[in-house]
Amino acid sequence: MQSQLESVIREVEKVIAGKRPVIEKILMALLAEGHVLLDDVPGVGKTTLAVALSRAVGLAFQRVQFTPDVLPSDLVGFSMYDKASGDFVYRPGALSRANLVLGDEINRAASKTQSALLEAMEERQLTVDGKTYPLEAPFIVIATENSVGTAGTQFLPYAQLDRFLVRLSLGYPDYEAQMSLLRERQTGNPLDTVARVMEKDELISLQWEARNVTVKDAILDYITRLALASRAHEAVEIGISPRGALFLSRMAKAMAFLEGRDYVNGADVQEVLRDVCAHRMLLKADVRQTTAEQVLEELLRKVENPDRRGLFPGMRKA
Amino acid sequence: MRKRWIGCAVWLLLAACLYFFENNTGTRTVLAASLLVPLVPLLRRVFFAADAPAAEAERPLPLTIRTFARQETDEPGDVREYRPGDPIRRIHWKLSAKKDALLVRETAAEPEVVEEEQLSSAPADGQKVRHAGRAAGLLLGLMLLCAALLLLIPEARHGFQALCNRIFAASEARNAYAYTFFTVAENQRVWLAAALLTILFAALTALVLLLRSRVFLLGIMAGCTLFQAYFGLPFPAWVNIPLYGLLALGMLRRPVSRKSLLSVLGTALGTALLIVLLFPGVDAATESASETVRDQLSRMAQQAAGVVSELPEGETETRHVHTQSLQTGANEARTGREYRLVTVEEEQISQPHWIDWLKVSLLLLLTVALLSLPFAPFLLLNARKKKALEARKAFASEDVGEAVRAIFRHVVLWLSETGHDAGNLLYRDWPDVLPEELTEAYARRFARCAMDYEEAAYSEHALPEETRQRALELLQETETALWKAADWRQRLRIRYWMCLCE
Repeated sequence: MQSQLESVIREVEKVIAGKRPVIEKILMALLAEGHVLLDDVPGVGKTTLAVALSRAVGLAFQRVQFTPDVLPSDLVGFSMYDKASGDFVYRPGALSRANLVLGDEINRAASKTQSALLEAMEERQLTVDGKTYPLEAPFIVIATENSVGTAGTQFLPYAQLDRFLVRLSLGYPDYEAQMSLLRERQTGNPLDTVARVMEKDELISLQWEARNVTVKDAILDYITRLALASRAHEAVEIGISPRGALFLSRMAKAMAFLEGRDYVNGADVQEVLRDVCAHRMLLKADVRQTTAEQVLEELLRKVENPDRRGLFPGMRKA
Repeated sequence: MRKRWIGCAVWLLLAACLYFFENNTGTRTVLAASLLVPLVPLLRRVFFAADAPAAEAERPLPLTIRTFARQETDEPGDVREYRPGDPIRRIHWKLSAKKDALLVRETAAEPEVVEEEQLSSAPADGQKVRHAGRAAGLLLGLMLLCAALLLLIPEARHGFQALCNRIFAASEARNAYAYTFFTVAENQRVWLAAALLTILFAALTALVLLLRSRVFLLGIMAGCTLFQAYFGLPFPAWVNIPLYGLLALGMLRRPVSRKSLLSVLGTALGTALLIVLLFPGVDAATESASETVRDQLSRMAQQAAGVVSELPEGETETRHVHTQSLQTGANEARTGREYRLVTVEEEQISQPHWIDWLKVSLLLLLTVALLSLPFAPFLLLNARKKKALEARKAFASEDVGEAVRAIFRHVVLWLSETGHDAGNLLYRDWPDVLPEELTEAYARRFARCAMDYEEAAYSEHALPEETRQRALELLQETETALWKAADWRQRLRIRYWMCLCE
């Protein structure tokens, strides 16, 4: 484990106790330059987590609470007529100067607002009135989605879901974590205690290092076979997209890097498969009582893992 | 239900194919015995009692669906005041609401049952089972009694022997078999034996019907087949096919799946071929046709030589002359057009059938296989030995990563060959499922080496020499631990590999 990353995790854990796996995964997404979708019930600390992370890493933080009347110009900015100069002046929006954007309840946004996010997320640039403004690196969107109280919400379009690197879920804290949370929040806000332990530039160089983690063909072959198997699965309408497979390899690299390795192994892929691919899969309408997670579990069981593959060319039993 | 019909259709098709086959190849009715073949998959069910309770459990609960005639009596004439005890469903709610008093439909009869469909037979309750058991016992006793009488009463015994003699005679008339006849009087009366036999068979049939046992049906089939094959007294195919078909249908109680049908077809084909090989039989029609043609030919030769049928007295010289004249006659006759035609016919008749080629090639194949059998172990051993030696060569490779991979592969091979294969799991997860006889320390060492293996397999940097040592130690430990834990069969196999590897 990299010491810098470890200290970031420790800082974030000050405010979110007992959620180390999720914090690690968000950090991995950060390293893999991907966007995160947090899908959870209200009040488990999604926003707190994002704010703490931005403070620990020293990222410029912006937060957008999506409602049906948030407009695209609120996000990407707009041009205003300046009387003095007689010219149009670009007024930056919420995304323009941020490194870490928290989009709260993204599924409440109108579809045009959602689509305005698309360009920013994928191309990392904004286009206003025909002019393109590149976004400052790193640029990461952490969007949250409530799974309850869905009145007035709309499903995220499949294309947008596919752009998120991972979909994570925090879940309720256990007894210990809940107790410590209650104890700490009685007097002050622990968010104030989060120290900046990493600079933006350091993050960028770490991202670069994570990109250079070795992925052997055996692992790429495993990812490919997983993707193909997901597309051929009988319960699946849309399987893991090519982008999904690419993201899977990136996330696996970040995982290996976070664990302090310079190569990806089969376990990395298996570990992140669920988070990277579950939200990309569309199951057939007539399949009931099967979830994408179950399908992925099945794939992990059935698709021959890279350790085994090719080891025994004439192996008779599985 | 439909599945069963499909099963019947397939069955008939199979029977028709066999009938065709039998007619064309001259392989006599033993082939009909191959109708038994579909029962091979059933044998498992018959002999493994473990299946029986499952089958019982599968039987659905007795259910009856009744469809009632819809009542559309809305006329108030049929209505009367509600009296306590009237069924609630007969209350005419609409009228009751209107009149503010409970009114019931005045129908004398219960709703008419138009249709009653029994979904399944009633379960055999204890009483019935007990009755059946007692009846089966009685029938079995009756059968034993008949058999005993058949053997003990001289009259019956002699009658039975006379019956057997008749069967032997019939068989001899048909085949070239020679039987040892029983010594009984020619005019021995057989009615007692026949009666006892009839009772015996009737009791057997009743027992079969009562027990619905497949074993009994199977026994009857085997008996029929053995009888036909042993005495060479085949029933004609049109008797055999319905007979075996009926017996088999009695056994097929549940609808057959596609898989079992396929296996049935495969086994049928195999058995048919085997029967063709083992019981070639004689095609009577071909034989007689060829006989006729040969007669014709020799008659023609005789006519051409002008030889009269009576032979001169048995002197060698005249016989020689006679043969010579026959030969010249044959030569002369050979020029005739009629003779040529008959010769062509003869050739056609005696031409081998395609099925004969099949037999010959199968026999050849079998012979070759049998001949090469003694050498098979050597071939196999050499291949294995080469493979094993090659695998071991990598242990000392320059590239430590390659060596670690090879050694670890060997460890896993050992584990999986001794039945500890963890399936499609990453090696780092294997320690959780390793067998109990391997210690905790071993599991830790295994996990450590699994990490080494991953590094060797998926990273690009070189591994230190100590990883090779670690892997070799693990291999050694695996070998000793598994040797301790192995049973004798596994030990035998392990020793076999060790022989190969050293």
